[in-house]
Amino acid sequence: MDTLNYLLQGFGVAFTPLNLALAFAGAFIGTIVGLLPGLGPINGVAILMPIAFAMGLPPESALILLAAVYMGCEYGGRISSILINVPGDAGAIMTAIDGYPMARKGLAGVALSISAWSSFVGGVVATIGLVLFAPLLANWALAFGPAEYFALMVFAIACLGGMVSDRPVKTLLAVLIGLSLACVGVDSNSGVYRFTFNDVHLADGVQFIVVVIGFFSISEILLMLEESSIGQSIIKTTGRKLFNRQEMKETNPSTLASSIGGFFIGVLPGAGATISSAIAYMVTKRVYDKDGSFGKGDIRGVSAPEAANNASATGSFVPMLCLGVPGSGTTTVMMGALALYNITPGPMLFQNQPEIVWGLIASLFVGNVVLLVLNIPLVGFFAKMLTVPNATLVPGIAAASAVGVYSVHATTFDLVLSVAFGVLGYLLRKLQFPMSSLILGFALGDMIEQNLRRALSLSNGEVGILWHSPVSLTLWIGAVAMLVGPPLLRRLRRGRAALAVG
Amino acid sequence: MRAERVFGLVWLAVSAAMAWVALDLKAPISYEPVGPRAVPLLYAGLMAACALTLVLRPHAVAFHWPHGKVVHHIVVSAGLLLGYAFAFEWLGFPLATALLALLLGRVFGGSWRTCASGGVAMGIVLYLFFDRLLDVVLPLGLLQPLFGG
Repeated sequence: MDTLNYLLQGFGVAFTPLNLALAFAGAFIGTIVGLLPGLGPINGVAILMPIAFAMGLPPESALILLAAVYMGCEYGGRISSILINVPGDAGAIMTAIDGYPMARKGLAGVALSISAWSSFVGGVVATIGLVLFAPLLANWALAFGPAEYFALMVFAIACLGGMVSDRPVKTLLAVLIGLSLACVGVDSNSGVYRFTFNDVHLADGVQFIVVVIGFFSISEILLMLEESSIGQSIIKTTGRKLFNRQEMKETNPSTLASSIGGFFIGVLPGAGATISSAIAYMVTKRVYDKDGSFGKGDIRGVSAPEAANNASATGSFVPMLCLGVPGSGTTTVMMGALALYNITPGPMLFQNQPEIVWGLIASLFVGNVVLLVLNIPLVGFFAKMLTVPNATLVPGIAAASAVGVYSVHATTFDLVLSVAFGVLGYLLRKLQFPMSSLILGFALGDMIEQNLRRALSLSNGEVGILWHSPVSLTLWIGAVAMLVGPPLLRRLRRGRAALAVG
Repeated sequence: MRAERVFGLVWLAVSAAMAWVALDLKAPISYEPVGPRAVPLLYAGLMAACALTLVLRPHAVAFHWPHGKVVHHIVVSAGLLLGYAFAFEWLGFPLATALLALLLGRVFGGSWRTCASGGVAMGIVLYLFFDRLLDVVLPLGLLQPLFGG
């Protein structure tokens, strides 16, 4: 019953007027950021994170704001998928397949409301999962030593390599660029300045926010120049605004199954909302598509990926909170937010600062309710945001990004550096390097090196310690399986297909 | 395919430069088996291996460089953003933001009038919102003598 007590305490934190107001503001901002094509949860959280810090919010309040933004983005992405057939963020790609045809049939209101509802179910189911599993995992992880942590982080990186892109080499290179950037600055063990080129601005390393804003927001601005998304026709929401009982009954089983599945996919480090919504859509289609209605506006094709998308976003909090290894790009950025407060997430957080952990978990419940309440009546207002022209929107993004960067150290140097990263990020993204891997590498860089060196100090330089314990050995095997497995499966499938054809 | 190869070559050079700098990283007193040099060298080596793979076995990526006009826009925008970064403290947030909104808005196809009025509004509103309302301190720059007091 400990958990219940902590949870009640958490609700005490979440229900303070300030935190409630922040959850509202975050949900609102998040929905708008999520529905704007090109801007995803990482941009929203990255821009708000330093601002929340500069405003002097206490850590749990800052985390509640950022979590509400994250949730809000997952809700918002579906609006543009359904109304203009352009997914607002990566997790909402699948929603467009059936959502847009539904809207064209005059069922936009139904599609929007059912997806808000299934997003809510996904979010709540996953938050319950978080309550049940997070303390267990945290307890278990307390026994982790540096060698286990090192293996865990390699596992997280391997998960990315196997799943995120079609070419693991590119994912690995992106991670390595991130890891290398993390080496810049004074080495805390020896006091040696690495790659600072005698510049005072680099002495304590490259700022996290500079890297995130550069590689995500600035590069996004440059990418937006290539799209001519101006003059999108938005489908008017006419007719029924709400789904009926029949439709709800029809979607219930797939929504629930996708929520549970999405949560567990989200828990895996590296596998995020994109993968879980894709899997949920595929599975739902395979089970229910008897008459070929999927792709032509089947309501289950809208609800299932949305449920999974939101569930996995919540699930990705599990590894971040319990292990200190983030499960998605956005939770990586949130870890950066905690770092601003000198808080290291991980198993100790549950013991030392339960008000942060449980306040966050409780606010996830609150945030989902807020989002459901906001999203059904205000959908018309949110849809209007899609008509803001890029000529106004883009300078706004640039200014807000610059405020975020400037608020940390107040130097021109950081601003210039973030633009330089933006140009590099543009080139990397054109070449299809996954940016979420780069940022994960950067966030893990310091921990990975510290744990490796600590482990080797313990063993006096004997490398065997890295895979000595059963836990680390399992993680190493898992890492190899993650790297080798997916390409092998792909090749097998291709071979079989070739056989079938031949 | 060619793009991957070119990038691989460039990144090979970057890795080599990183390794060359890293070779000099020695701790004056060493009391741990792995010093400050090993990990950067390891990263440089692994990056070089990845880059080499891209050079030797480039895949045909389904991507294309943008056309002439868009390239022009991208270069101009990157230049504007860089200029904004340098002007941020010197001109101050309201002026720099108004200028950026005007010029960048033009690149994104806005009309002179909407971009100019939008820029002025953005400079003032965002300054008041962040600096006055949210307590995020922003530079006034050239406007300092007028309003800073």
